[in-house]
Amino acid sequence: MTAPTSALGSPSTPLPAEVDVAIIGGGVMGLSVAEHLAEISSLRIAVIERSYLASGASGRNGGGVRMQWGDPENIALMIESIQIFGTLAQKLGINTWFRQGGYLFVARNSASEAALVRSVELQRQLGAPTKVVDARGIRQLVPELSTEGVWMAAHNPRDGVVFPWALVWGYAQQAARHGVAIRTHTNVTRATPRERGFELELGTGEKLRAARIVNATGAWSGVLNRSLGIDLPNRAERHEILSSEPLKPFLDPLVVDLTVGLYVSQSTRGELVTGITMPGGHGRGTDIDLGQSLAFLRHLSRALIRLMPVCAALKVLRQWSGPYDVSPDGDAIVGPSPGVPGFIQLCGFTGHGFMMAPAVGRIVARWLARNETHPILARWNPSRFRGETLARRENLIIG
Amino acid sequence: MNRRTFLCRCEDVTVAELEAAVGKGMLTVEEIKRYTGLGTGPCQGKECLATLARWLLQRGLATSDGLEPFTARPPAEPITFAALAGQDPEELS
Amino acid sequence: MRLPWSPQCSRAKPQTVSVFRARRGADPPSGVLRVDGWIRVPVRPGQTVTGALLCAGVLATSRSLKYRRPRGPFCLQGDCGTCLVRIDGRPNLRACMVEAKPGMEVESQNRQEQGAWDPNRLVDAWIGPMFDHHHFVLRPRWANQWMQTVARRLSGLGTLPDPPRWPTSTHEHRRVSAVVIGGGVAGQAAFAAISKTTRSAVLLDRRHPGHAVFGLYAEDGVVAAGTDGRDGQERLTTFETQHIVIATGTRPSMLEVSGNDRPGVFAAQGLAALLQTENLELAADAVVIGQPELAAAWGERLNLPWFSVADVAQIRGEQSVEAIELRDGRVIPAQVVALAEHPNAASELGRQGGAPVAWTEHVGFAIERDETGRCSSSGPWQLWACGAVTGVTGRDAAIADGTRVGSAVAQALLAEEARS
Repeated sequence: MTAPTSALGSPSTPLPAEVDVAIIGGGVMGLSVAEHLAEISSLRIAVIERSYLASGASGRNGGGVRMQWGDPENIALMIESIQIFGTLAQKLGINTWFRQGGYLFVARNSASEAALVRSVELQRQLGAPTKVVDARGIRQLVPELSTEGVWMAAHNPRDGVVFPWALVWGYAQQAARHGVAIRTHTNVTRATPRERGFELELGTGEKLRAARIVNATGAWSGVLNRSLGIDLPNRAERHEILSSEPLKPFLDPLVVDLTVGLYVSQSTRGELVTGITMPGGHGRGTDIDLGQSLAFLRHLSRALIRLMPVCAALKVLRQWSGPYDVSPDGDAIVGPSPGVPGFIQLCGFTGHGFMMAPAVGRIVARWLARNETHPILARWNPSRFRGETLARRENLIIG
Repeated sequence: MNRRTFLCRCEDVTVAELEAAVGKGMLTVEEIKRYTGLGTGPCQGKECLATLARWLLQRGLATSDGLEPFTARPPAEPITFAALAGQDPEELS
Repeated sequence: MRLPWSPQCSRAKPQTVSVFRARRGADPPSGVLRVDGWIRVPVRPGQTVTGALLCAGVLATSRSLKYRRPRGPFCLQGDCGTCLVRIDGRPNLRACMVEAKPGMEVESQNRQEQGAWDPNRLVDAWIGPMFDHHHFVLRPRWANQWMQTVARRLSGLGTLPDPPRWPTSTHEHRRVSAVVIGGGVAGQAAFAAISKTTRSAVLLDRRHPGHAVFGLYAEDGVVAAGTDGRDGQERLTTFETQHIVIATGTRPSMLEVSGNDRPGVFAAQGLAALLQTENLELAADAVVIGQPELAAAWGERLNLPWFSVADVAQIRGEQSVEAIELRDGRVIPAQVVALAEHPNAASELGRQGGAPVAWTEHVGFAIERDETGRCSSSGPWQLWACGAVTGVTGRDAAIADGTRVGSAVAQALLAEEARS
């Protein structure tokens, strides 16, 4: 057997005494930024992950990738991201199982219909091939769907699903090839501002100096932020999800029942992967709870059977949960922290960060390396939270 | 031992594949499960978790007190969506 | 767009060697069930589908995911995941847990057409020990896309259930003083001890339809049990309780030996139980392979020749076991192999409830408890454990342990009652 390598990170990856950028958090965002940054610059980069790669939201989500959003900047960002997804497997050197089977958003009332009709128009203006579909069209796309009570749907055949863990490993591998040090099973106990940059103390007793730090810890970002006196309003929310027994392929698109917040797709392995918005809200707070409930299973089962009656006879294989890092206005929190500009936020993606990671990694890397601005960075600026509450600009956040 | 011996029959994970995962730095049961797929099939590791643990112990890749099982998640037995919905489907409105 | 895929059912002759038969004096068959639309299999009262199929020589009922190898039952008690068949239009049912009934239509799943030229054999033969799905046909992009389409078509197991028999379902909620999970000897003993002081305890064993406990939900405050689609009547029962006793026992473990995945390889533990419960005997050549002390013990109990796993090169066979090959070159014909490995504690439910486990040589991850039988755990109940799932070995010891822990639970219930 060959000796272990550090291609996917290891608890004993040697760390230099000093780096230009220390990225804390080995999820898809942190690793995407690391990979892009290492590709376009000669900055010294380290990624520190307190558990195994993708142990957080990156390893727990359903892998959905869509350009069907309700806000033009989100649509444009995802058009870019999906384009990157198309050849990402070859670029990263690992199968990502990206399948563009489409997304089908289904509406059951006038509010949902209005939201979809408006968003379809916005998407088409930006070049997306999204179409409004009637009941007959819905049944052609997914014969198993019951269109009773369904008003209309929106369909984009270029949306799809991907295998989340592979993406994370791919970014890690590629980043490591470009010289990024990836250290796993190591936590950061303290970050102290120093004259030029920061000093990180690690759980192993090691110390690491970094000119800049990127907080890519998602739902756990508050802990590190507060230790530096940074107070940002994003909060963790638990979202549950389940997979079914494996079935031969029958469901091409990922279906979203917008009115109840249900989503269901079929993975390449044949399992249905599905989740739903819980009516009483989701566990919220600073303690990340990654447990699961029977209430979720029951609520989802009713909604799923109504949408696809054949599911009544299918079986649940496993349920789990993952954290949404929820920002009050639904927009990510990315950029220099208020008061501590060398400490850079890469959080607040409110349950849709995974699909954005390819495009965001590129944008943030260009900003870190060359100070290149991008309109989305202005919008996502962490300093925007002073003053009155901001309204959500995006209305198609699901799950 | 033949490297094509199956340690997980649901997902077809062989000894050779486990060796490759370990070679990539996967040393915990949870990481090996994710990288190889061992334990993610219909039996959810009921058959193969202990076999993997013994394999790791035999090769000195783990110690008895260091071994942790996969996270146990419901359902421990298969359960239909219908049973969970708990009412006649026609009654759903 | 729908993807077409090959017919699910095989038309080739199945393995014709019946590996079990009914013992003399057993009930005569009450009828037949059909496999894949044309293989007629006699059914006896009290048989499982697996029992009936193995008596009729139908050993392989599905194909594995990547290497496309034939798969059939192994553990014979509902845990290994490879006996799944389609029964009366319902996919992915555990044949070893379903009672065989005359007139049943049983279908194998994920099988391709067999015959002189079987494309699955090509995959199995061509791919070496390492099927690296992370890098398989990665480039060029058009080949990768094609590979993904093929992989998707070959993946999955059952097909959608037949309409319009969507099951009806009921939900029942009960408040009980204690729930004992597992109806083996320890569980029964614990239940008996608890029942001396209270009438509202329940004993749940998954062999009883509707009593399969699938979750300990601390957040919802319930123990949840339900049905897996075996019959048309789906049920969910939730229990609110103050005490949960985990008596879920052990299950067979897979042994590392080449060819261990061939249909005809069974866990020694499961094989013995099946022969006894269904009143069967072996009808073909069989051997035991395992860790030396265990293999010797099972060899004696089953009256079969036994071999230490260290002396075995591989288990040979195409569609099912045909022989075992020893390291010294000898080839022993056999159609059944009983594997003797240390069992695994069925500790999932305990772990769901937060009970700590520790690795043991003889039962894998066993539930840890204090000297009274209590497990440290969180939730609106006290968790206890007894019997083989905690590492206790032997039938008598399990009964004694169940009685001891059950009595402790009874004491706790009395104390709680006195306080209120």
